[in-house]
Amino acid sequence: MREKRGSKPSTSTSPCSLLRDAYHNCFHRWYTEKFVKGQYDKEECISEWQKYKACLSEHLEDKHMIRLLEAENVVVRDSADATSQ
Amino acid sequence: MVKAYKQEHVYKHPWERVTSASWRKFTDAENKRVLSHILEVDTLNKSLDPSSGKLCATRAITVRCPWLVRRIIGEDICQCVETTVVDAKSRSMQLSYRNVNMEKFIEVEENTRYDPHPDNPDGWTICQQETRIRIKPLSALASMAEKVEQRCADRFLQNSAKSRDVMERICKYLEAESSSFSL
Repeated sequence: MREKRGSKPSTSTSPCSLLRDAYHNCFHRWYTEKFVKGQYDKEECISEWQKYKACLSEHLEDKHMIRLLEAENVVVRDSADATSQ
Repeated sequence: MVKAYKQEHVYKHPWERVTSASWRKFTDAENKRVLSHILEVDTLNKSLDPSSGKLCATRAITVRCPWLVRRIIGEDICQCVETTVVDAKSRSMQLSYRNVNMEKFIEVEENTRYDPHPDNPDGWTICQQETRIRIKPLSALASMAEKVEQRCADRFLQNSAKSRDVMERICKYLEAESSSFSL
């Protein structure tokens, strides 16, 4: 039942998968233990996010995804990081 | 040529736990076998307003296309964008989800919301979901539009049943975890 047991190497091909898992794990813990309990005045997981995002910006360009997202105005590279400080 | 349907489900878990499960369902490693159509999930953007308790996030979700779509369009991968807005103060979570590739052929849009159940706002959560599948006229799929829409809808319904099972399991896990903390 524990999360740990299922954490075999992911089948994902993304070169950012380790950084991604680190960020998602951190975010999920923060959401469950703080955000929904009213402690939303401070964002956490900032260093995990920055490392993951740097990797994404580098590799997302390989995919046609980035073009689509730019067309959609979903900004990836200059997202509002300033607000998370 | 639109297929649209609504679904509703009541989770006998509080809103806080259910929305935590919603974030985790596609990314927890042990669900990957059950939700095998989900290939990758990346967070592209997120923002928090620390004064109002509003959290927004955009995730890219890579899904394996239904067989019929693979066969006709020759595309294996369906790329979707999911936008989530959570308001911690009013306890609401809204998700919208749609495809960003193959949009010349097919449009899939899904809107989901999680709210405290009016009969038991601190114990239960109601999930309401609306899905629309539309095959574009004059596309390669148009002549079989109805069939494709039906197949996609069937797949969506199967997958949302699987998602609900996964959500229930994560909720139980989170419940066990929170009670072991408070002991």
